[in-house]
Amino acid sequence: MKKINLWIFLLTLSIFAKAQTADITGFARNYTGALFENSQFSIIQNTFSLDVAKMGNKVAFNANPMLYQYWSDSLDLRMRELYLDLYFDNVDIRIGKQQVVWGKADGVFITDIVSPLDLTEFLLPDFDEIRVGITAVKLDYYLGNNTFEVIWAPNFTSVEIPQAGSIWYIQPDFPVTPVFDWSKSDITPSLENSEFFAKFTGMTSIVDFEIMAAYTWDDTPSMHVNKQFGMNPATQQPMLTGLTVAPEHHRLNIGGGSFSTEVKGVIIRGEVAYYNGKQFQTEDQLAVDALTEKDYLHYLLGADFSIKGLKMSAQFIQQSILDYDENMMNEEIENTMTFLARYDLLRETVHLELFSYIGLTNEDALIRPKISYDFDDSFSILLGANIFIGDDAGRFGQYKDNSMAYLKMKYSF
Amino acid sequence: MKNLKNSKIISFIMILVILVNFDAMAQLTGKQIVEKAYNRPVGKDQTALLTMTLTNSRGSQRVRKIKQFTKNAATVEKSIMFFQSPADVKNTSFMSWSYTNSKADDQWIYLPAIKKTKRISSDSKSDYFMGSDFTYDDLGDRKLNADTHKFLKSVTIDGKSCYVVESVSKDDEYIYSKTKTWIIKGSFIGYKKEFYDEDGDLLKILSIKKYEKISGIWVITHSEMKNVQKNHRTSMKLSSVKVNTGVSESSFTERMMMRGM
Repeated sequence: MKKINLWIFLLTLSIFAKAQTADITGFARNYTGALFENSQFSIIQNTFSLDVAKMGNKVAFNANPMLYQYWSDSLDLRMRELYLDLYFDNVDIRIGKQQVVWGKADGVFITDIVSPLDLTEFLLPDFDEIRVGITAVKLDYYLGNNTFEVIWAPNFTSVEIPQAGSIWYIQPDFPVTPVFDWSKSDITPSLENSEFFAKFTGMTSIVDFEIMAAYTWDDTPSMHVNKQFGMNPATQQPMLTGLTVAPEHHRLNIGGGSFSTEVKGVIIRGEVAYYNGKQFQTEDQLAVDALTEKDYLHYLLGADFSIKGLKMSAQFIQQSILDYDENMMNEEIENTMTFLARYDLLRETVHLELFSYIGLTNEDALIRPKISYDFDDSFSILLGANIFIGDDAGRFGQYKDNSMAYLKMKYSF
Repeated sequence: MKNLKNSKIISFIMILVILVNFDAMAQLTGKQIVEKAYNRPVGKDQTALLTMTLTNSRGSQRVRKIKQFTKNAATVEKSIMFFQSPADVKNTSFMSWSYTNSKADDQWIYLPAIKKTKRISSDSKSDYFMGSDFTYDDLGDRKLNADTHKFLKSVTIDGKSCYVVESVSKDDEYIYSKTKTWIIKGSFIGYKKEFYDEDGDLLKILSIKKYEKISGIWVITHSEMKNVQKNHRTSMKLSSVKVNTGVSESSFTERMMMRGM
């Protein structure tokens, strides 16, 4: 029944779009991946995306439903975006479900904190699909090439994390099997619980820059750990008998900015954010719920350049916890690099790309080579690999068993 | 009688001097010819729909459609392009601010899929535009002083009297060893251009198929670039051309890149 409803919805939307002479684009895609380790399929996914837009001088709307079919039967319909635009002389207002992208970083999320991430497949989805839309009102006020943007999001949207059973799910490391208490994991939509974001953007012939501030919720819930102790009958000493883990989101205040400029043919990019009020896990026995509140800095410096048609980009990222104490489970400083090389051949019908995250702190990496060929303007085929290497304790090394090759076939219309 | 004879001689010498000087004035240098071609009137602004057809050696074609706006001011030329097809690049936009002085161009691209406007380097002028046979330089972004220009000869082709000018880049690493341009006398429209590769062999030929006067301005509405070594070509046709309609300065902003026009 659910499937029938989905198809009725898509059909209705298509008929409406045609009747309204709306602009319709989209794609159909097959994505099949297999693990190197045992050649088992890690993913078989079919995707149908429909982007319906109607633009007038004063009003516009956009609807972007995406239908994911996993394996043979599982269907997942997502409304990636659904919004109305109102245009005035110097003001644009967007109301509805929307994706907002901030900052100058590529593949790294520092000031880009408005739309949470879908991490159910780690960082592997295309960057245009990894963000989750939020329901919000966005107002942009324009003054020449400067823009002042404010966003009010009345309904908090959390990051999406892998569920148990997924190859991307990491079992929490606790000394005893915990009991999860999800009662505090949701945030009731209310004015008091709303999120607020503001950004000033300048685009000049010398430099582009953004300055941002946010009063938001931490997209990732903090794990409040409550330990239960009993008496060890053998030793007559207290012993850990149980754990209750209560995921709970906390308020964050964030301020930051980013810039990009060109110096002798090289694009230099930078981005920084100061996070106030982040809850970190600690082993301090005196800490309440095994959490400690600290501020941290997250920043990046990057460069984009081209040599004889080979386009390259490198970024250095550092996350630094302020007022660090040794009981904390996170590293005080975590360094990461990204590297991208891209080359187009045969009149831009063949594309070679190598993208990698390199964890400098834990000496691990995710390496993503790919080659794609455009058979024509509407059909392309892509062969790629996701290779995880390095220390098991690292963000990338922990997925060593998930290294895979994959094939994507895409028809755009 | 003697005075009359002297007077005739002086008059003859004066006429000769004037004629010699007139000939020298009429004989423009290569740089002056190219400068006149670069600076010929193009209007304060222009709007057009560009259809670019890429044809490979087997004859199969790919078509790109772009809506473009340009605005010329004293020190800067601003342009913005909105890609309309193919589907996978639809609503991508590209904005360029090109300066008359030596300052490098400012360029941005808006990628609708990731909703991001990115500043891109203007140092890649030798890159090919959307897989076509035109580099960014070929499309007219090249600065006058980037090359040394030498007048070769005057010829008549297709009934049009043209200057032929050879231009050699001052940058040894440039992709072309030289270019030869046929520029129509009077209108200073570049009518034909040959591009020679690093080995000095003919690589591409640009031919103007059609140009027309729109609102008093000469506009090239159909051109074709042929790669003679690889036997593929790109045709560029302009339609719905409008000149001097008062395109607003606010059209060349990030707001319009994201919203479209």
